[in-house]
Amino acid sequence: MNHALRRLSLVCLGMFVLLLVNVNFLQVFRVNSIAAEPGNIRITVQQEKVQRGEIIAAGGPGSQQVIAVSRQISGGIYQRYYPASYTYAPITGYDSVFGTTTPAGLAGIEKYENAYLAGTAPSLAIHNLRGLFTGKSKQGASVYLTISPKAQAAAYQALKAFGHPAGVIALDPRTGAILAMASYPSFDPNKLTVLNSATFDKAFAGYHPNSGSSPLINRAINDLFPPGSTFKIVTSSTAFSNNVVNNPNSTIPAPQFYRPPGTTHVLTNDYNSPCGNGNPPIIFAFTLSCNTAFGKLGARLGGPALHGFADRFGFNNPGLGVPMPVTPSSALVQNGSVVTDPAYTAYSAIGQFNDLVTPLQEAMLAATVANGGTLMKPYLVQQIRAPDQTPVYNASPTAMGHPITPQVASYLSQMMESVTHDPNGTAYGAVGPQVTSIDVRGKTGTAQNGSGFSLDDSVFTCFVTGNGQPIAVGVIVKGGGFGAAIAAPIALQIIRAYLGRQ
Amino acid sequence: MAAVPSAAGATPRNGLSPAPLPAGRRGSELAMLCFALAIVALAFASVGFGLNGHLPAGLVLYVGGFAALMIGAHLTVRWLAPWADPLLVPLAAVLNGLGIVMIYRLQEAGRHGNAGAFGLPVSTLTAHSAVYQLVWTAVGIAAFIAVLVVFREPRILQRYTYTIGLVGLLLLAFPIVLPASHSEVNGAKEWIIFGGFSIQPGEFAKIALAVFFAGYLVAKRDVLSLAGRRFLGIDLPRARDLGPILVVWGLNLLILIAEQDIGASGLFFGLFVVMLYIATQRKSWLLIGVGLFAAAALIAWVAISHVAERFTIWLDPFNPATIHGISEQLAYGLEGMAFGGLFGTGLGQGQPYWTPLVQSDFIFTGFGEELGLVGVMALLLIFGLLVQRGLRTAIAIKDPFSKLLAGGLAFSIALQLFIIVGGVTQLIPLTGVTTPFLSQGGSSLVASWMIIAILIRISDTARRPAPQSIQDEGLTQVVRAL
Repeated sequence: MNHALRRLSLVCLGMFVLLLVNVNFLQVFRVNSIAAEPGNIRITVQQEKVQRGEIIAAGGPGSQQVIAVSRQISGGIYQRYYPASYTYAPITGYDSVFGTTTPAGLAGIEKYENAYLAGTAPSLAIHNLRGLFTGKSKQGASVYLTISPKAQAAAYQALKAFGHPAGVIALDPRTGAILAMASYPSFDPNKLTVLNSATFDKAFAGYHPNSGSSPLINRAINDLFPPGSTFKIVTSSTAFSNNVVNNPNSTIPAPQFYRPPGTTHVLTNDYNSPCGNGNPPIIFAFTLSCNTAFGKLGARLGGPALHGFADRFGFNNPGLGVPMPVTPSSALVQNGSVVTDPAYTAYSAIGQFNDLVTPLQEAMLAATVANGGTLMKPYLVQQIRAPDQTPVYNASPTAMGHPITPQVASYLSQMMESVTHDPNGTAYGAVGPQVTSIDVRGKTGTAQNGSGFSLDDSVFTCFVTGNGQPIAVGVIVKGGGFGAAIAAPIALQIIRAYLGRQ
Repeated sequence: MAAVPSAAGATPRNGLSPAPLPAGRRGSELAMLCFALAIVALAFASVGFGLNGHLPAGLVLYVGGFAALMIGAHLTVRWLAPWADPLLVPLAAVLNGLGIVMIYRLQEAGRHGNAGAFGLPVSTLTAHSAVYQLVWTAVGIAAFIAVLVVFREPRILQRYTYTIGLVGLLLLAFPIVLPASHSEVNGAKEWIIFGGFSIQPGEFAKIALAVFFAGYLVAKRDVLSLAGRRFLGIDLPRARDLGPILVVWGLNLLILIAEQDIGASGLFFGLFVVMLYIATQRKSWLLIGVGLFAAAALIAWVAISHVAERFTIWLDPFNPATIHGISEQLAYGLEGMAFGGLFGTGLGQGQPYWTPLVQSDFIFTGFGEELGLVGVMALLLIFGLLVQRGLRTAIAIKDPFSKLLAGGLAFSIALQLFIIVGGVTQLIPLTGVTTPFLSQGGSSLVASWMIIAILIRISDTARRPAPQSIQDEGLTQVVRAL
């Protein structure tokens, strides 16, 4: 029987080897995938025991501002606190031990920089190892944002003062650094960091998209609005770049009424007014924002050409993250294919039909012009520092592309200057020389939105250069009416706060 | 057998000088037992520091009491089985001790300011669970001593083959005839419950059946190993010899359906098939066994609702549809082990209490979370060593009955461990059997100590020096009777 027993020993050995291999597989290779399972309660509890790193608004001139901090509430348990709650909520997001997202209950920077904030990022391993042996509790790295506290406070205050759903972004055109990112209505993340699930559920229910105002949506990067006449920047860029229009003083046809081919709809200008002599220079049509001129120009340029330039400016790009994912803006696309119909093209060329943009996309249009035609990739995180203050990450600004040549950029800059400086310009009254000493250049947009608001959406994209502190701003206010009426003054408030000038 | 060095010294040397008695290795056993006790004491202290930064209050009681019991076991072996394998008791002791440590750790969760359930001071165990486990250890050691006292020779058991077999069957059948209130816990009808006192008769039936199978198979093995037809290079047994395996299979199926206990049913059937294989050395029995097992699994799939369920949760324990229901225990256990990672959180510093009923079937995941991969690999190696010593004993003993019994019991430990550890680590579908020595619960612990006692007895017999010839002036030789 010993022969059988020896073979049985091998069988037993095999069973133990299987168990050993399997526990290795489970406790080494499956660690990350199991940790990422929704509702993994141990990961949730671990979240409470870590002193997360701070989030600091550190961009622009002036002092920094701590906008998220972990406070010890009782023996080894930490709770997140957001000192400037509503103002920064779309940026910070929230860190809650409850909720259905993975890791549990995170959003915004809290979610997308979680590995650093929670101290689990591989580059922090040396520090954590030290903590392991010294018995110190684990500490996360601090995240320094590009946000300028002055611009951010002004942005949120301005949106709140008007009280309509709105989003705004301010960029440094040279780098793509996001100087302000505000959304209204906002929420109080402190109400979601509670350690009591019933309190959390109650607060979260009030913020839920189905509850009405959807404050949890970051309207600056995740809500889409029609761009209206601001899209004429793209149309003009296409015309200059394709040599259809030579320079700002070249004339383009601008009838009082324009019926695009293949449709009975007639395109008009505001108040059905004529546009100059019917064949004005493009800068004149741009300054007055003539729909017929740019509709006709768009139809002439064709859908594919406009679509191509929109893409170069950052439209239709699903991969953009700042690091929070940005909802792609879209233009000249219908049912997944490029619009070729001349009538639809004409409407798209003036930012109607189904063109949709985020406030970030608006800011990117102005930033490209301000930066001489080079579009920088927008980003929020400037630096990450380990608990011992060693930087473990530094932002390196990168160009997303060169949508237009410096020559074309200077033409657009000239036309956008005219919008704010020519007494006929749509934004002359809002941000012109009589209002401010700052040289703001921009383009207004007034877009029919088809939503419940009686007024159109108010859009403004603008930039300031030339004083060492350039800034580009994109503002969209739902139901704000004329672009110059609401969006442009909001942009000006942000610029004033950022530059510290009137 | 040649590999038992101590036995070699017993060879008479030309009848000139009396051979020196070979070492019984009891000193080694004591040294290793002290090492085992030191591990348990350190683990216990570690729980205290992990939970609230100081030595646990009951350290002297628990460790002292446990050490006294283990020393008692050692002294009994020294007295009644001096030639036995010196590793068996220390290995069993370290497992039993760590089991108590983990149960103490779980009992303290949610008490005395320790973290319990999420934000709530909730413990899943009563405040005296570890003391009960210690008391059960005492009962186990008593059973261990009783086995060694009563059975001075393993072959005595062979005389009662059929009586013991009947006892085994009755133990298995008893919960079936009892009303559910006296026999059912968490869906498995495998208990005998009276007045807050419950035992799992299956744990003892396992030993009784191993004894019965050994006795029966030794008697019938010549017939059962007769070759019938040859098929695909394997000698199949004769059709008429299939009777016994079919009867055992049928009984198992009955237990399976009546008691809803897949794990125990698989354990008994596996034990029988492997003992049949050891007895006959015919691989065909293994194949027939596997075939019958597959058939039983298929029948169970159709007949028992929760068998198909077990497969579903095995394939996807994290499915949102089941994670708060039938797959919660498995998923939480896996999450605990994954959370423990390489080195674990440290005893007292994880949240093993999140896994429902972690103290019984899922105690292995508790160790995985708090001691990490390193800890569970060590536990598996300790179990592996225990099984290996059992099989070594089987190979060393000459008597076929004892050989079969030792081999069967050693294999039963391996198979039971494979079923439960494989189940909680998602290697195989989860079925509930206890983790020998570690799980909370008296029956399993007492039965495990009885198995160790039987192995000690067989090992002692195997390693005992051959009777020495009494050389009286070289004239007559009287052989001392066994």
